[in-house]
Amino acid sequence: MALEVSRIQVVKASMVLTARNFFADPQWVIPSIIAPFVFTLVALFLFSNVTGPILLYAVLGGGMMGMWGTTVYGSGESISFDRWNGTMECTLSAPSPLIWIVLGRVIWNTLEGSINAIFILVIGFLWFRVGVSLADPLLFAASTFVTFLSLSAFGTLLANVIVLSRKGGFITNGIEIPVYIATGTMFPIGLLPFYVGAVSYSIGPTWGIDAIRKAAIGSYVGQLPFSIFVDIAVTIIITVVYFAMSSVLMVRVEKIAKRNGTLGDF
Amino acid sequence: MLLCVTHKRIYRDANGGSRLAEYCVETRDLRREYLNRNFFGKVKSRTNALSGLNISIKYGELFGIIGPNGAGKTTTIKILSTLLLPTSGSAFVLGMDVTHDLYRIRKRIGIVFGGERGLYNRVTGLQNLLYFSDLYGVPPSVSRKRVPELIEMVGLTGRENERVEKYSRGMKQRLHIARALVHDPELMFLDEPTIGLDPAGARDIRGIIKQLKKDGKSILLTTHYMFEADELCERIAVISKGNLVALDRPSGLKKQVRDITLVELHVYGDSRAVSSSISELPSVSRVFSEDSGDRTIIRIQTPDGSEVLEKAKVIASQNNVRIIESSIKEPTLEDAYLRMVEE
Repeated sequence: MALEVSRIQVVKASMVLTARNFFADPQWVIPSIIAPFVFTLVALFLFSNVTGPILLYAVLGGGMMGMWGTTVYGSGESISFDRWNGTMECTLSAPSPLIWIVLGRVIWNTLEGSINAIFILVIGFLWFRVGVSLADPLLFAASTFVTFLSLSAFGTLLANVIVLSRKGGFITNGIEIPVYIATGTMFPIGLLPFYVGAVSYSIGPTWGIDAIRKAAIGSYVGQLPFSIFVDIAVTIIITVVYFAMSSVLMVRVEKIAKRNGTLGDF
Repeated sequence: MLLCVTHKRIYRDANGGSRLAEYCVETRDLRREYLNRNFFGKVKSRTNALSGLNISIKYGELFGIIGPNGAGKTTTIKILSTLLLPTSGSAFVLGMDVTHDLYRIRKRIGIVFGGERGLYNRVTGLQNLLYFSDLYGVPPSVSRKRVPELIEMVGLTGRENERVEKYSRGMKQRLHIARALVHDPELMFLDEPTIGLDPAGARDIRGIIKQLKKDGKSILLTTHYMFEADELCERIAVISKGNLVALDRPSGLKKQVRDITLVELHVYGDSRAVSSSISELPSVSRVFSEDSGDRTIIRIQTPDGSEVLEKAKVIASQNNVRIIESSIKEPTLEDAYLRMVEE
């Protein structure tokens, strides 16, 4: 008798396996702890002459970089890992839609990235004595949560590229720094040329990061001229659009890979 | 205990009627072409992996596909297991179209790829099996019971909590089989499951395959090893360069090469003149000589084994060469295979 596949069961299994693989490889500390930590240190040294909200701005930026870096690295690598490992075809031969498997992996990567973010914030608070008071803790938590979802959704979009071709790793690796810049993680997007703004506004985390800063720093005006509620709403809408696009794309991309015979390439 | 399957299935046809399906796999003029493109996407070359394959596998049958490297064995399995789209033609698995009914097919088939790849090496064998159980939607209450049974069936009891990277090749292959069985599939595709294994490991895998057959599974096996196909398969398809060369029972395939009875002589002394004279006999098609320690082994391919043996004895005697041992051997599946593939 044919079994019914539970989406929650698949997402959970995928998440748990990714976590187990992650901790089994001692190299995880490099992209997950050391790299974002170094990024944050550089930022904090750049802002070493300033105090108060601007320093908190830098620390929050470092935290977001940690989250994003891990998400993009993990999303790309989790599928590339299947190609190298030869598990891509075994995974795809299961009756679970690939989007749920990828989602489980991306959620773990984003979760792990958020732990990095917390780690960086704690360093910032302890080492640079950045003020720990948040302007609106409730909205800060809500903004962080939707940004977390938004990063996961972005990760699933990126994973499509790797399913399509082993060469997709170049794209996911290459996109890391441009997204740091485009989302205004470290520098306000107002400093960027006008045409970059259009790209920035189409990326969910841009809105989420702005919402986080507005909730954390009372005097922060924001790089987007909207209220925090608009920021959160737009982050949610873009996240839903990303997930919908990923669901459709994943089916399409799998079909293309099967037509081209590239699923087993490594 | 694994579930048994019956040997025929009832399917609804397009008009709402029912029909009794005898075959769990049917391919019709199945073709697959690979395109080799350059950097700009322009097609540089085309490779025909399958050129119109027609095979039908009965429910409960252990069906083999043999052929040289690049013959299209793995391509066939990948298409049937919904991992590759055919360029043209059609393929039905358990009565369903492989291009449209992906998820319904995947729920009811199991795939074993040969070699060490295809498992998560950094986690344990048990964790691999539980993960794939979840991907196949096996309820945790069922997998908690079934997974230990499978571990026992493939002989990994006591090693299931070790990381797969510590497993030998044979253990990995057995884990592959257990992985393919987590959802108790009706039909299994085994792609060269004994490749690279030592004789004892390969024998273990063949034992497991026999057990699966006894449990009522329908099985499609590809292999390079003729004795393995001969021992396990009820029917065998020989494919070469994407074409079906022959399809029969192992005994039937061997009958097709009855004309290549093999006469084997073990002789002492200079046998060059003997080999040369034997090769001039009218019914002899080929003669091979091989030095083996203190003796030479002469192998003669001929349709008239007894007659040639008598004449060879006379020739040896005339040349003062002593025959220590002589025999007439029936053609093996390998002889049949080589003849078909070379043709």
